[in-house]
Amino acid sequence: MRSISTEAKVGLFVLVALAVLAYMSFRVGEYGFGHKKGYLVTAAFDNVAGLEKDASVRIAGVEVGRIEEISLKNGRAQVTLRIHPDVELEKDVQASIKTHGILGDKYIEIAPGTEEVGYMRPGGEITRVEQQADLDRLLRELGSITSDIMAVTATLKDVVGGEEGQTNLKAIVSNTKELSENLNRVVTQNNEKINLLVTNLNRASGSMQKTFASLHEITDKINKGQGTIGQLVENREIFDNLNKTLASLNKITEKVSQGEGTIGKLVAKDDLFETLNRTAVSLQNITEKIDAGEGTIGKLVNDEETVESLNAGLKSIDRSMSGIERYISRADSFRTFFSYRGEYLMSESNAKSYVNVRIQPREDVFYVLGAVADPRGRRTVTERIADGQTVKFEEYDKGELLIDAQIGKRFRDIAMRGGFFESTGGVGVDYFALNDTLKITFEAFDFDKDRNAHLKFYADYRLFRHVSLTAGWDDFISSEGNESPFVGLSISFEDKDLKYLLSSIPISR
Amino acid sequence: MIGSIFAVLDRTGRSVIHVLEELGGMLFLFVSIARWAVSPPFKIRQIMKQMEFVGVKSLFVVILTGLFTGMVSALQGYHGFKMFSAESLVGSTVALAMTRELGPVLTSLMVTARAGSAMAAELGTMKVTEQIDALYVMASNPVKHLIVPRVIAGVIMLPALTIVSDFVGIFGSYFVGVGLLDINKGMFIRNMTKFVDLGDIYNGLVKAAVFGLILSFIGCYKGFKTTGGAEGVGKATTEAVVISAITILICDYFLTALMF
Repeated sequence: MRSISTEAKVGLFVLVALAVLAYMSFRVGEYGFGHKKGYLVTAAFDNVAGLEKDASVRIAGVEVGRIEEISLKNGRAQVTLRIHPDVELEKDVQASIKTHGILGDKYIEIAPGTEEVGYMRPGGEITRVEQQADLDRLLRELGSITSDIMAVTATLKDVVGGEEGQTNLKAIVSNTKELSENLNRVVTQNNEKINLLVTNLNRASGSMQKTFASLHEITDKINKGQGTIGQLVENREIFDNLNKTLASLNKITEKVSQGEGTIGKLVAKDDLFETLNRTAVSLQNITEKIDAGEGTIGKLVNDEETVESLNAGLKSIDRSMSGIERYISRADSFRTFFSYRGEYLMSESNAKSYVNVRIQPREDVFYVLGAVADPRGRRTVTERIADGQTVKFEEYDKGELLIDAQIGKRFRDIAMRGGFFESTGGVGVDYFALNDTLKITFEAFDFDKDRNAHLKFYADYRLFRHVSLTAGWDDFISSEGNESPFVGLSISFEDKDLKYLLSSIPISR
Repeated sequence: MIGSIFAVLDRTGRSVIHVLEELGGMLFLFVSIARWAVSPPFKIRQIMKQMEFVGVKSLFVVILTGLFTGMVSALQGYHGFKMFSAESLVGSTVALAMTRELGPVLTSLMVTARAGSAMAAELGTMKVTEQIDALYVMASNPVKHLIVPRVIAGVIMLPALTIVSDFVGIFGSYFVGVGLLDINKGMFIRNMTKFVDLGDIYNGLVKAAVFGLILSFIGCYKGFKTTGGAEGVGKATTEAVVISAITILICDYFLTALMF
């Protein structure tokens, strides 16, 4: 067996080490490294003492995000939260700062809101914020409460204490005694009447109970038929009628309340109570009819069709809203970058220039279009048959530009590219590290059976916002002595105008 | 009287000049390494051979060191954390210690002992047997041929070895913590990923690269300056290891102060 070459051993070892590094990076950088996942929302707190960057954000104790940034804004602490993309926050959620145990870390707990108000968009702000219960404030409030209690007891002392207070108290007690004696006498004298009153009340409450049961059923139906409320509001006539009814009801109740003395009559006269009883029974009849779907109100309550058509209308509005939202968010994520890249080839003592447009419709997908000016020029090979032998002519046209056209997709900190590299087919891999400041790239293209493929390896280090330094090794397994280390510089900036231009072109859903 | 004063002055001056000469020699060698390292043609075969020697052949000893360091740290940490019922923090403590300090430093010390000493001995023997002079005669630059591949190999291989050492150390602590001491597995991993930052790993690797430069550079420098036959080679080797180890530990402090 042939022994493994030195190069193979070194290569294997380096690959294993890089694989282990990549694995550890993935495990450690679950959130917030390189290609960050999730969307941002903010919340303003009066005091965030003890809260750290990268502390967790929880709903019901389940981690749904991390704290991205804490900054000062208008004298309050502005906390930016990065929420996991699978988690949707309602607009009325409440954020509060909590602590794990007694000595544990601080974190932000989010109490869920109601679904009806809709969900928060990226960049939104949580307005309902519960301030941190700090010990000082608690003690201050306790202090003010105790001073209030002290004031009350002092007044009480003034009233009760002293001789005047004592005589007053004595008078009160003797008055109460007298009152209860009188009451006792009244009750013994009117024993029979009171008994009758209680039996009547008993009967009345039986019919009332039935009425309430039917009413309950009706309200249930109204509750279920949500859409009908809309019609009630729309239909002026019903509304007016309802208004009138309510007004007369009001009058009736006023009259009833004016006739305070009736209670006395109620005790003496049995027939008035009968009338009341009958009224309750007929009310019961009416509500039963409504329940069965008779009459206008009954239809309103029971007609399923109205409800359904209303529901359908609401749904279609909802659908079109979400369409608009998707369109807007697509325009938001659409980004375009222009870049120039110059590489000084040391072996050639000449420079190679790239001009690229990078279009990024989504955060993880991009297209690269560009032109390359190569000092070696564009190679064309022509084959001619002379004297029965194939002769190859290679020509280099120095004035020609080469074309880059690639599509790419990014997976966390690795991006894969494919397409045309310098006018030939090929593939490329980018590895992003240190929050995207460092990019390590490997490209392979120009595959030809007669010579080695063109391989290129380089690293870009972003020095400033728009400027990066680059160094690498071009065509390093070249069979034609083209290999050359290079250093260079690239300038890149984002175009905001082109983004809106491109996103205003209609796109199919 | 006057004579003895002059003798003291003479000795002081001599030792100052000696130190300055040494530092100057190192600086010159360093500059020439830097120049030759970036100018083609590159001695790929030589670099590969040195990478195999420094990296691949040190793998076993580095794995052993890393594994047992991680295991013993977990064992020691466990008894401490048990007092506070915070055993699940053992994993993150060991992981932080491995990635920030123990991984780079112990790996570098092991490689110094294994490869740095060999570099000094090899180049020292070449020096005293006048092979290096022979290279000069053949108009071939010995810095380019002998030192640059070793330094490049050191700078590239030390981070790679450190990655392996970190990983094996963390694995060792997991084995001891979860396997033998029965710490909660989920909390162990959870705390580890929570407290260890990518910065910890990367800064550890930067340290390792610097240590790789230090140990290969000092090994080669001492080898190149060897005089005095077989005894001289032995002395150069010892000095290379001692100076490298001390420099690594001192630099470690300053790098840590700078980075974290």
